[in-house]
Amino acid sequence: MAPNMSAKNTNERLSATLFGKTRRSVLALFYSHVDESFYLRQIVRSAGVGMGAVQRELKRLSDAGIIIKTVHGQQVYYKANPECPIYDDLKSLVMKTVGIGEILKGALVPLADLIHVAFLFGSLVRGDENSLSDADVLVVGDVTFSEVVTALGQAQETIRREINPIVYPPKEFRSKLAADHHFLKTTLNSPKFFLIGDEHDLAKLVE
Amino acid sequence: MTLQNWLNNGWLTEHRASSQEIATLFAVADRDLSDCRTSSLSSDWRLNIAYNAALQTATAALAAAGYRAVRGAHHYRVIHSLTHTIKADVGLVSLLDQFRKKRNISEYDHVGMISDQEAKEMVDLAIQLRKDVEKWIRENHPDLLADK
Repeated sequence: MAPNMSAKNTNERLSATLFGKTRRSVLALFYSHVDESFYLRQIVRSAGVGMGAVQRELKRLSDAGIIIKTVHGQQVYYKANPECPIYDDLKSLVMKTVGIGEILKGALVPLADLIHVAFLFGSLVRGDENSLSDADVLVVGDVTFSEVVTALGQAQETIRREINPIVYPPKEFRSKLAADHHFLKTTLNSPKFFLIGDEHDLAKLVE
Repeated sequence: MTLQNWLNNGWLTEHRASSQEIATLFAVADRDLSDCRTSSLSSDWRLNIAYNAALQTATAALAAAGYRAVRGAHHYRVIHSLTHTIKADVGLVSLLDQFRKKRNISEYDHVGMISDQEAKEMVDLAIQLRKDVEKWIRENHPDLLADK
């Protein structure tokens, strides 16, 4: 998680200490969607680390029986293993320690191919949030507000905060920025925590 | 939960609707549905106006069912009452409620944040709701439709 992101700071330090970056992101994805299976590319995209690191992590986790690997046709899928003796403990540990950012990343995975860039901004990223602060999320992509609301519905309960998604199609995003749109300009200049894509993707989008 | 439970909780009061009242609510909604498509307006305003159309429409359904929402959490109740009046699905109700929150936030915290895409989705939702509610009243409370 970004260093300036104070949300659940202590808890995040716990998980950062217990799990390395890759393991943490991978576990966050599996345990925030225990009923779903994911294929490698989805996991890589959500973890935001290299393909090799994710592959090694998936091998270790499946060798240990923490996750299950299944093959359907050409595609290999992974999911949390409910038969694992520490399944419940691990799930609760991950939920308690992995930050809001990781949970939101996981929630957006089903739409990831349609989204160019998505990031968290506002008080949770600046670190001046209170218990009532919303999670402000800006999404730029070929998705509707309705689809994003549906994707984030469960996460809203998990993080116990209201999520305020703002959805811009790429074309509208570009044209409003070109016209010096106040809200977008301010938001782009404020601290961000990327959920999909990064600073580079954002720059490319604006070009 | 039923609307009767809501009444017992003090969230609603009983109300005898007239065809005149339903016609007035629909007229306001129709005016808003027309205004919200004025392309020269900002997306914030278009969303606001379309939201108001949806709220008037939901109020008409609630009135036809024999109730009125009390002042506290008024918008929230009127929106969620659609589950009980026209049996709106969860997706529609939560989307409309999310637009309610968006409208509040855009007024106070993030002025100008609403995209054209979002305003358009709110307009589409309001148009659909207007049709659904009229159909429901026609089927369940035909005496409250003045015309036809």
